[in-house]
Amino acid sequence: MNKALTVARWEYLEKIKSKAFLISLFLMPIIMIGMGVIPSLLATRPDTESRIVGIVDQTGELAQPVSERLSERYRLTNGKPNYVVRVLASGRNVDVAQQTKAADQMVTAKEIEGYAILRGTAFHDSTVEYRSRNVANFSLMERFTRVITEVITEKKLREQGFDPQLVRRLTVPIELKTTRLKEGGETEEADFGKVFFGAYIFMMMMFFLVVTSGQLLVRSLLEEKSNRVAEVLMSSCSANELMVGKILGLSGLGLTQIALWGVIGLAISLQFAITLISLSNALLLLVYFVFGYLLYAAIFVGAGAPLTTEQEAQQITSYLVLILIMPIVLAFPVIQNPDSTLAKVLTFIPIITPTMMALRIPIQTPSVLEILLSLVLLAASAAGAMWAAGKIFRIGMLTYGKRPSLRELVRWVRTA
Amino acid sequence: MLKASALKKTFKTVVAVDGVSLEVNRGEILGLLGPNGAGKTTTIRMILNVIEPDEGQITFDGQPFSDAVRNSIGYLPEERGLYRKNLVINVLVYFGGLHGMSVHAAKEEAGKWLGKFDLLPYANRKVDELSKGNQQKLQFIATILHDPQLLVLDEPFAGLDPVNQIVLKDVLMEMKERGKAIIFSTHQMEQTEKLSDKICLINKGKVVLQGELHEVKRGYGKNSVHVEFEGNGASLSAVPGIKRSLIYENYAELELEGNGSPSDLLRRIVGELNIRKFELVEPSLQSIFLSLVGGEKLQMEEKKEGER
Repeated sequence: MNKALTVARWEYLEKIKSKAFLISLFLMPIIMIGMGVIPSLLATRPDTESRIVGIVDQTGELAQPVSERLSERYRLTNGKPNYVVRVLASGRNVDVAQQTKAADQMVTAKEIEGYAILRGTAFHDSTVEYRSRNVANFSLMERFTRVITEVITEKKLREQGFDPQLVRRLTVPIELKTTRLKEGGETEEADFGKVFFGAYIFMMMMFFLVVTSGQLLVRSLLEEKSNRVAEVLMSSCSANELMVGKILGLSGLGLTQIALWGVIGLAISLQFAITLISLSNALLLLVYFVFGYLLYAAIFVGAGAPLTTEQEAQQITSYLVLILIMPIVLAFPVIQNPDSTLAKVLTFIPIITPTMMALRIPIQTPSVLEILLSLVLLAASAAGAMWAAGKIFRIGMLTYGKRPSLRELVRWVRTA
Repeated sequence: MLKASALKKTFKTVVAVDGVSLEVNRGEILGLLGPNGAGKTTTIRMILNVIEPDEGQITFDGQPFSDAVRNSIGYLPEERGLYRKNLVINVLVYFGGLHGMSVHAAKEEAGKWLGKFDLLPYANRKVDELSKGNQQKLQFIATILHDPQLLVLDEPFAGLDPVNQIVLKDVLMEMKERGKAIIFSTHQMEQTEKLSDKICLINKGKVVLQGELHEVKRGYGKNSVHVEFEGNGASLSAVPGIKRSLIYENYAELELEGNGSPSDLLRRIVGELNIRKFELVEPSLQSIFLSLVGGEKLQMEEKKEGER
């Protein structure tokens, strides 16, 4: 097996310098951070300047309290009010159609961000219109809605003879704090977004890793075949040594990649003070990852060795990638209900076991029995796939010309 | 050193190699000859244990194939190629390592051989920056870096310019002197004639001719004539008493019929051509090759004609 190490060393040292690897090494974290962090940062980013909003009030009594509350309650970091409210018109005899025309022009001229129309009927049908060029500013609209609702509700309560102060005290909304329970009675504060993000990151990491290293593997097999290095290699070490060496070398690459991503992930979680996953869960996932990786590598070897052209290789790798994408499609139902029958059944399909576990473990750790069974099954299928891939590899690496049919591949596995 | 007996290999329904036996000892060069598709590459692959024979046995110094044997073989494949994007020295160290050399030893040997082939300045260049000829030399270095006891070379001279052919020939002779066993396959009869101690001619998976080169030639007797001349040699093929002729611009090799006499031949052609040299010789390997392989082809073509 000494020669397997020689092959592994070569594959590792030469591939780590390749552009494809370097790109995936650095691109992946950037994509992950881009997809996971930037939208949430953008969405929650507070305004830095006051926004001018208008009110057209046909009730004659809402404009005043709404604008006061809006400007008092929401402040910018420099203490200025977040919203400056301009009452465009207020009174029972306001002509809404005419005011709307004028106000629309102010919006288009960017004098005001947008404006709300409180019709005289607002008390009865509880409908308020907001007009703006941008109707995707969720925080503004949510605040507008809340303030107007408050004012209208208070007015209605007062009319019914209740003291609004008292009502507000009595109807304080509860705040839901979620705590995730773990074996051994430990508790951990968690929220769905964080947990989902954690599980999602692990699944994507595995996916990217398998895709990039699988493609590297197939491409290197193809290169060795086309420049006939394969013949020299096969004459200087056994086919199994060669295959094991290649897979070891690529696994080394994978681990390098994981280690770097892990460091980046750790840095980010320290920065934002969030724990995506506990250490014991991470170790468990690593075990799944290693077996899953071996299984995928064997599949890529078996599929790649008989190929002779770049086009075929691209075709085959994209099919394999499709199989790997499957778990991503199934991710949502599994995350929402990690203990469902669907999730359990999927866990026992070897090629998606690692991804399913990557989704389930951070959310709700499956039972010990399930973990053991799925690991045994995964390890057994990895070993079986390795065995078959070794047979195909031995013949495939010396076969040129026509791609063998599936039936021929089966014969190779049987006879070689 | 190497002894292969009664090798047989069938692919699907095609019998690629059918009962080939060959032997090569230390300090011997064996030329493996045969037309394209004769089964040379399959034979070589079986010797290298890349594919297993269906029948037959291969032993190295009486021992079956083992990892130790593997490390003492150097193989140069017919279609050349190396890793293109990697540094020359790294590629050599890798191939050395694959034959059980340490990194240090491989580097040292690589430096020695690169120097010998004038490639030292390229040690830290990428392989595809080298010219084609230099890549061939590099591949030969990769083959012999680990000081193999048995060299298996598939068409070693193909694509080399005359200067490098001589360099390679000298290295091969030197390795022979040092007691290495060498097998090389080729179409180039001239090289075979200059280098081989033994030949093994394969056609359609079977050995057609085998033995010490000089005995093989003697077996064919001195019934060939070399003629150098001025004038149009085309008429030579029509001269009676000639069994086979190879006619070049101003040189011809003529094989006489069994009872033909050289003097008769000389008398017949002396009027037609300006003869500069007339010599009775052993047949060249080229003409033996053609008589065994080409003749059969010719017969087959005639048969096809007849069927039509």
